[in-house]
Amino acid sequence: MAEQRGTVGGPVLTEWFGRANLHKLEVYEKLGGYEGLRKVVTGMSAAQVIDEVKASGLRGRGGADFPTATKWSFVPKDHPGPKYIVVNADESEPGSAKDRYLMENSPHALIEGAAIATFAIGGHQAWIYIRGEYDLPYEKLRDAIAEAHAKGHLGDHPFGTDYPLDIRLYRGHGAYICGEETALLESLEGKRAQPRSRPPFPAIKGAWGQPTAVNNVETLSTVPWIIRHGGAEYAKRGTEKAKGTRMVTVSGDVQKPGNYEIEIGVTYRHIIEELAGGPFPGRKVKVFWPGGSSAKVLPGSMLDTSTDLDGLKALGTMGGSGGIIVMDDSHCVVKGAARLLRFYAHESCGKCTPCRVGSNWAVRTYERILANEGSQIELALLDRVQQGLQGGRCLCGLGDAAGWVIQSTMNHFRNEYEEHCLHHTCSVEGALIHA
Amino acid sequence: MSALSSHLLEEIKALPAKYPQPRSAVMPALDLAQEELGHLTPEAMSEVAVALQLDPGYVEGVATFYTLFHLEPVGKHRFYVCTNLSCMLRGAEDVVDRLKAAIGVREPGEVSKDGLFSYEEVECLGACEYAPVVRLDHRYEVDLTRGKIDSLVNDRRLVRSHVKTGVRSSLDTTPEPPRKKPVRRTKKSG
Ligand SMILES: Cc1cc2nc3c(=O)[nH]c(=O)nc-3n(C[C@H](O)[C@H](O)[C@H](O)COP(=O)(O)O)c2cc1C
Ligand code: FES
Repeated sequence: MAEQRGTVGGPVLTEWFGRANLHKLEVYEKLGGYEGLRKVVTGMSAAQVIDEVKASGLRGRGGADFPTATKWSFVPKDHPGPKYIVVNADESEPGSAKDRYLMENSPHALIEGAAIATFAIGGHQAWIYIRGEYDLPYEKLRDAIAEAHAKGHLGDHPFGTDYPLDIRLYRGHGAYICGEETALLESLEGKRAQPRSRPPFPAIKGAWGQPTAVNNVETLSTVPWIIRHGGAEYAKRGTEKAKGTRMVTVSGDVQKPGNYEIEIGVTYRHIIEELAGGPFPGRKVKVFWPGGSSAKVLPGSMLDTSTDLDGLKALGTMGGSGGIIVMDDSHCVVKGAARLLRFYAHESCGKCTPCRVGSNWAVRTYERILANEGSQIELALLDRVQQGLQGGRCLCGLGDAAGWVIQSTMNHFRNEYEEHCLHHTCSVEGALIHA
Repeated sequence: MSALSSHLLEEIKALPAKYPQPRSAVMPALDLAQEELGHLTPEAMSEVAVALQLDPGYVEGVATFYTLFHLEPVGKHRFYVCTNLSCMLRGAEDVVDRLKAAIGVREPGEVSKDGLFSYEEVECLGACEYAPVVRLDHRYEVDLTRGKIDSLVNDRRLVRSHVKTGVRSSLDTTPEPPRKKPVRRTKKSG
């Protein structure tokens, strides 16, 4: 494998990273892997598993921070048909690479976690929906599932019990919207990935109409540790309400980009300057996206902001998918925002009008601005489009996220926008975007 | 004569049984078809539809929604170049320019004269710590520089003329060369 860029030997998720061949069952198991699943299927009830995870305080790492145990408890216990765990391995949020890092290094942790979760909701089958571009992680998971079956950890009699557990893989085919859980379920059912209206929620009517809990890769990869060490041990880490550790991906203008495991509550300064080596010599952090491209930006003056999930919410932004994108003072914010808007417009599934029309309108406006055709009108337009995209008018959060990019960059860097629109210059880059 | 081989059609017909509902087989089936033909022709899509007992319009609707399905011919080696923000900050625009020159095409989707190459600009590949990144022949190639683009292209031309040599693929193999400084766009002064 390519050189690791990120934490090895960290506190929870990356505890065993860096050991040779961790992706092999033999190695993973020797270190203590599959102890959690053994404990669960041979000696715990589903309710006890949910309680243990509740005690950990674990919240979903796919972007919405929702408490994992609560999500599992929404799945009806008395449902007569199948129930599913669907693993969201679609990771496509710009700036986020941590699920890939986890799957490549430790595929068995995800498999073990998914199996434990399946047991906790009283199901027998999990599906991993993995983005189509992730060839290597797909192969790693495929081989690991085969190993787990061969060893008897999955199948009809895991660890000698009569509680069948199976995990299957399903490959995506390139569409960001598939990361949104209801769009993902549509895609898994062989349809165009367009979000569903809720209710009914997936817990009641999910994959193929059956009760389903959709969980992120990192969320489930954390679960075996929690079962091994106990929820209380996990909850010792983190802040008062946001417990534990999490992965962040640091990318962009830093010297040591990578996937780092951090205790929730450390500052962005710690992550960007210490873990990721800080900006290049002579450069300053101008702006950063604290939790994927969909999180409202913070200016470099706010590097001391804590990664506490609730603190970030109070600031109007979020920890989101953990993708920290850093831009230094040699790069133009307007150009960066324009690139992200192109992303949102391209990935809008087209179902909801405000998102489809608004994002394309924004792209055209940015194109005019970067072609030095902007004026006061474009400034006002961006402001109107931004408002139209936000406010939960759509079935999913994609449009809101597009609006946040415009709003937050304009809010903090109005000067750069005005320079482009009113004076047709860019004191930062000079260069214009490629049409 | 059908567009898809008969053994492939048999394979496709066996897919629906693997899923709780048969419709889920549509993407795996299109995958197989695309692997065999390189891209999805209208005939291939309707044969998939017949094999899965679905409406041809439905199958085409699915194929057009997802970017990894190609409805037009593509090069034998496809570069999926990430140009999203983290890669852009580290010189993705340069990568695109160099790649276009190296394979001799003007725009995404255009196939090089020898049929070997085409490229597409794609959204974040989820490997931002290695920016700039491309996906090529089912592997990620990372820390791209102009020189690295040239050798990716040349290696594949050589493979064609000398048949088999080992083509290196980064995320999968042993030691990476030392990190290069990111390619930065030259800036206009002032
Ligand atoms: C537009 C959009 C894209 C999303 N993309 C992802 C993704 O790539 N991976 C992911 O785990 N969650 C993604 N989510 C969040 C999921 O909808 C869902 O909340 C999550 O998978 C639940 O898992 P968790 O509770 O473990 O976080 C996305 C949400 C939206 C609105
Ligand atoms: S932005 Fe290029 S891989 Fe994420």
